[in-house]
This record gives sequence, structure tokens and C-alpha cells, in this order.
Amino acid sequence: MGIPSAPMITKAFKDLAILNAAKRGMPHERICFTPHPVWGKTPDELRVYVDGPDPVSGKPLMKEIVDALTVPLSDDEKKSGIVSVSVGPPTFTDTADNLQEFYLNNGYTDFLPIILPTQEKVDAMLKGTGHKPDEVVGKMAAGAYPAWSYTVRQVAASAVMAGCRPEYFPIVLAIASSGVASLFSSTNSFAFAMIINGPIRDKLEFNYGIGALGPFAQPNATIGRAWTLMSKNLGNGGIPGDTYLGSLGNNLNYNNVVIAENEDASPWPPFHVQRGFKKEENVVSLFRGLGVVPGQVARGSSANENVQFDYQMSDLFSTFTGFFGALIIADPLVAIRLKEQGYDTKEKLIAWLYKNTTQTVKDYKSRNYAYLFEYPQALQGREPFATWYKLPDDAVIPHFPRPESFNIVVTGGQTNAYPQAGNLSYGVSVSIDKWM
Amino acid sequence: MNRRKLLSLLGMSPALLAESRAAAQQKSASKAAAPDAGQGKITAVNPKGTPPPITLIPMAPRLDTLDGKTVYLVDTGFHGSDMLLHQVEAWFGRNMPNVTVVFRRKAGPYAEDDPKLWKEIKEKGNAVIMAVGH
Repeated sequence: MGIPSAPMITKAFKDLAILNAAKRGMPHERICFTPHPVWGKTPDELRVYVDGPDPVSGKPLMKEIVDALTVPLSDDEKKSGIVSVSVGPPTFTDTADNLQEFYLNNGYTDFLPIILPTQEKVDAMLKGTGHKPDEVVGKMAAGAYPAWSYTVRQVAASAVMAGCRPEYFPIVLAIASSGVASLFSSTNSFAFAMIINGPIRDKLEFNYGIGALGPFAQPNATIGRAWTLMSKNLGNGGIPGDTYLGSLGNNLNYNNVVIAENEDASPWPPFHVQRGFKKEENVVSLFRGLGVVPGQVARGSSANENVQFDYQMSDLFSTFTGFFGALIIADPLVAIRLKEQGYDTKEKLIAWLYKNTTQTVKDYKSRNYAYLFEYPQALQGREPFATWYKLPDDAVIPHFPRPESFNIVVTGGQTNAYPQAGNLSYGVSVSIDKWM
Repeated sequence: MNRRKLLSLLGMSPALLAESRAAAQQKSASKAAAPDAGQGKITAVNPKGTPPPITLIPMAPRLDTLDGKTVYLVDTGFHGSDMLLHQVEAWFGRNMPNVTVVFRRKAGPYAEDDPKLWKEIKEKGNAVIMAVGH
């Protein structure tokens, strides 16, 4: 803008604020800090913040703000030009034990032992694709940061570290090409999931039977882990205080939720076909949200009842944040029963859930995400939020903004009719075949 | 951690800093190189991607004084930002009454740009105070 500015940030985000300003070209930006948090404080408490010191510098906050706007610039603050950023030498040489330690201490791992990405192992991984090692695959950022780029060879290093076999590599490349990082900067501690569809599920021996979401097959375990290692190494994500701010963190980030769909046992078309792909195509679809919860404990789940999975799911989804979607992860027995109850298409079930999962306007307005993300959109006239904010408090509105907030995938071993559900939004589907 | 140390973690080159991250890593690698008995050395690749170069943006010239100037207080939309900035507004009223203060909430969710507001500030304002992250 060409106008002096003084950003005020709470102390909890000091490192983030300084580093992000630097990454965007202002390593000496005059950032002023308030105590943390601001949210939930009364006007009197905030007056104490304003009249008090900057908790980082110890100087009076308002004097610091006035100085930020009026003290002449130093030579460093006037600098222009291009500054290179180094990530270190291309290789490291040491004993295997010392290298394990070195990779761990430098933030290259998920703090579990890795397969060291020796040149031989990386070369073997590269044989899993027909793409050239120096081809640029894409760019990734773990939030509102400048994105990093990476080549096929750089992706291969993370795939090796995660324990992937070379034949898994096209799936890892497809994920990398999406640019979606599985570690995101939000304080909410996001979780991520992927659905694998197509014949590759059988070719690579994905588990989509008993224990489909558990640690019972190598591709399910390692491809999910590779996503997180890529997010750290290729997208520079997962640095607490800098590119990761999740207050509690999320255990699912170790290898994400990897769902190979049980296409043959499902009574409905597979997920990728719904997204416009052919059944014989191999596709990975990515989701982002807050996590996965069990679906056994809701309405109509007693042994003697005719189980009402639709009501059960609606009950469950009414506890979800509507900012993210709802991903139904149904054992085939659940899906088959739903079809028998009249939901002969996924769309029919989704229409029912959208209509019957509701909330009052008063409850909606009280939600954190509504104020932060949807109220500003309502002010700009974006629907359905603009209409929702005009309705009386006792009006009943859908819990999710649109039917597309719901998605359904079928997986599992049919040992019992149990669903799980993710508070997860669909992001993108990527062809795996293109990376063969 | 101070600003210099933080920026060195970013790997910014010696043009701005005395020591880059790369140099620190090489030192660290050789420090870690006390070989265990019986283990030969192997070479493994650096798994990091390629960060973009940083284009330095010269900061805008500062004002001689705020007296008689217009300062925009911009609320990013985070919870409590508006209340905090109203306290800043009150502080100016008590302590620097010759400063004209204009409060605005930035349009859209916090991560969205608001070029219309930036244009207004450029035309009518002399300085900006923006708040706040949580």
C-alpha cells in the first residue's frame, strides 16, 4: 500500500508472525504483540492489554505502536532484492544410526524410525514411475505460506522414508501433484483422509476388508505416512509455532485416514465414479477436516431394533462442525441395509440427511466457525449464509450449507453393521494412472 | 527465540544473516558423525523440497508524527479483534486526540484479501494498525 502499518498479533503467534512476514519479504516488519488470548476477554481486560506492555519487548504497547508508525526506517528495513533460501546440502554422509538421529533432529521425520533414503533406494523408487526424476510434480504449502516446489526425485525420498514399495509410487506422486498438505497450520488440529479407488487396490493388496482402517496392510500404512512426510519435507509443514499451530495436534496425522473402498461389496457406485471417473481408472480422493468418530452409539442401535442408520447418522452429524462436511464410512452391511430401506442411490441418502440434519439459527450463530468464516460471507451476500443470518433465532436451518457437504464411502469386512463418520470435507480427486 | 535466530531457521542467505541454515546443517551433520564401532558410512539424500526465493519488500516510509493524521484500525475478523481495536481507539482519544481514528472490519473471512479497503486507506489514510491473530 505504501502506507506505514503496525500489525498487532497475540504473543502465542510470535514465531509465526515473524517468520511469515520474512517469507513474504519483510524480515524486519515492526510487529507489536498483545498478551494472549484476546478472544473471550472483556473490554476492561482488553484495556489492560492496551495500557500495558508488549509481552515480547516489555515496552509499553501503545508507545511501540506509535513508534512502529513514526520511527525512521533502518537500512535493513529499506532493503530490496532477492534472497535465496537454503535447505542444506543435497546429501548427508554418516553411519546409519547417526543419520537416523540426524534426520530425526532436523525435523525430516514423524519421530518414528524411517527407511534412510539412500541413493540406491531412491533410484529403486524412481523405477515405480515412467516420469523423469527432475520433472516438477507440484507445489505445496501447509497454510497461508509461500508454496514450496518439488520434483519426482524429491517425492521419492519421502516415499522411501515412509516405507513405500516402488509400485506404490504412482499413488504417492498423485497425492503430491494435488498440492494438498496433510499437515495444516490451523489451530484446529486438522485431520486428513484419502479414498483409493480402482483396480490398483487389488494389485497392491490394499486392505478394504476386516480392519480396513487399521494397521493391517503395507500400502494402507505407508502411503498415508508418505503424505505426512511429504507435507513436512516438500511443503515445509508441521513445524510447531511456525507452519503448525494445532493446539492439541491430531493423532491421525501419523499416517492419515487411508480408505480403500470395498467396491465389490458396495451396493452403490464407487466414490471415484461419482466424481466422473471410469470404474477401471485408479484414483485417489483427498479430504480435510477434524477427525473420525464411531457411529455405533446413536439412535436405533440396540440389538432388538430395526436399526435406523439414517437417523443414527443424522444424530451424529448434528454434533459436527458444519464448516467441514460429513464423510460416511459405511461397512458394506450398513450400506446394504440402507439400500434395502429405500436408499437405492447415495444421492437419495444424502438428500435425506441434508434435509433432516438441522439446527436453529440461534445455535448456528453461536458457533465459532460461523462467526469467523461464514458471517463475513453473509455480509458480502454469499448464500446460504446471507439468508441464514437474516432469519429469526428460532428458525430451523440445515446443519450443513449444502448437500455436497455429505459424502459416502463403503469399506470394511462385514463382521458387523457399524459405520464410522468423518467430519471431513471433500477436496479433490487425482488420477493415479497419470503417474504410472 | 529472538528474531535473528528465527530468521536463521528460515535458511535466509548470508546476505541478511551471519549464518545460514545450510551452514548450520553441515556443521550439525559433521557433529553427528562420530561413527559407531563397526558401522560404515552411507550417503542419504536430503528430503527437503525447494523453497521459493524471498523478494524483499522495502517498508513504507514512516510518518514524522501522528498528530493531525488519519490512522485506520483494521479488524481482521478474529474473535475479539474489534473489541481490542475499540480499546486502541479509546486510547488515542485519551492520549492523542489530534489523531483521527477510523475503524473498519476487513471484508470476507480473515484470509481473504480486501483490495477495496486497501484503496480507501491509500486515498484517505496515513497509517494502519491491524489486529489481531486470536
